[in-house]
Amino acid sequence: MILADNEQKLKENLVSREEWMKGDKKGSCLFGQLPIFEDGDLVLYQSNAILRHVGRKHGAYGKNDCEASLIDMMNDSVEDLRLKYIKLIYQEYETGKEAYCKDLPNHLKPFESILSKSKSGFLVGDQISFADYNLFDLLLNNKVLCSASLDSFPTLKSYVDKIAARPKIKALLECENFKKLPINGNGKQ
Amino acid sequence: MTHWQSGMSFVAATQFACKEGACMTHQKKRQVLYKERRASFCALHCLKQPSLPTLFCTMAPYTLTYFPVKGRCGALKMMLADNGQQLKENVVSIEEWMKGDLKGSCLFGQLPKFEDGDLVLYQSNAMLRHLGRKHGAYGKKDCEASLIDMMNDSVEDLRLKYIKLIYQEYETGKEAYCKDLPNHLKPFESILSKSKSGFLVGDQISFADYNLFDLLLNHKVLCSASLDSFPALKSYVDKIAARPKIKALLECENFKKLPINGNGKQ
Repeated sequence: MILADNEQKLKENLVSREEWMKGDKKGSCLFGQLPIFEDGDLVLYQSNAILRHVGRKHGAYGKNDCEASLIDMMNDSVEDLRLKYIKLIYQEYETGKEAYCKDLPNHLKPFESILSKSKSGFLVGDQISFADYNLFDLLLNNKVLCSASLDSFPTLKSYVDKIAARPKIKALLECENFKKLPINGNGKQ
Repeated sequence: MTHWQSGMSFVAATQFACKEGACMTHQKKRQVLYKERRASFCALHCLKQPSLPTLFCTMAPYTLTYFPVKGRCGALKMMLADNGQQLKENVVSIEEWMKGDLKGSCLFGQLPKFEDGDLVLYQSNAMLRHLGRKHGAYGKKDCEASLIDMMNDSVEDLRLKYIKLIYQEYETGKEAYCKDLPNHLKPFESILSKSKSGFLVGDQISFADYNLFDLLLNHKVLCSASLDSFPALKSYVDKIAARPKIKALLECENFKKLPINGNGKQ
């Protein structure tokens, strides 16, 4: 989303499960995991390092060091929730979904509070940051998982609508290649 | 914007800030230098020359609010010590935390909380990045910064496994954890054995190094032979532990007496 919003092209190498299980690709990855992101000679693993890298390059990391630190904090909190989401999807979907959706408001409350105090409508400062794209993406996932999740959070609701309406984000969300991708690797959502 | 090349970090002030003990007199001119990681003193232009840009460097003490454990703040304390920085610590007992008022005031309901002047931060890795930025421990240019981010995130991955074991599965999972640990240490061994400087990225220490060092110390306690088959990691730990200010911190009573984790397990 951050790349699309900044009109950056992305070449995608798709790796099938069968190919991954062979082991060669995994063995060549620095920490044995995907995604890999390449920017010229720079090879990066770790999705949040990739977000920070792209954020740095495309002015989505705040206007000064203080904003950068606050954006780091916001992104790390999004990551905390993403880890809970991932754990549910891959380890506890059948047994844990109801409890997860019941508990979800407690994790959304802080973001609702932060955004409702934000003049710009973004997490930090007056422009969109990589933490916003990350939170937006995670909120979309949680809308699919727990359909009424944003109902009691008007600010989060309008935040999602606002970002989804950004022309290039809208175009990405409507693009066939993007729409057809399953959210998660095990087909659960 | 970060100022990678100059290594300087400054905040434009809308009002002159002069804190006793942090500056001599407001007529003396000093320079904000964050190039030398271990030296910083403040540049303040004379109030009588208002046309000159007014700079202040945040000389209010760093303040950490946390439980009486090393926990997620070991690396932060080591980085501060290594840079000769003072840290004011507000220690929060479990009883106080359970009352709920402090928790309710924390942005995400969690500690640690870190204050640098007016800036209030939660999330230990955001604190590491903040201090890394301020004290020249975030690489010399953007691509080093990105690599350091990657390294720190991988340290964090292992820290999460460690935390899960300690708090959720200690008795039943410890043996399997120590047996699997080499698989998670191997990548760092490989990276460090190829490093000319002996640090994870570039030719100077970064916040990711303090973080990895801290985590390796935890693992030496948990799985005592964990570094035996990793010579580069072994000498990495020895080298960082031997840095004079780190050595002093590790030998300091206040630091030594802190339990590693909140439940007493290690």
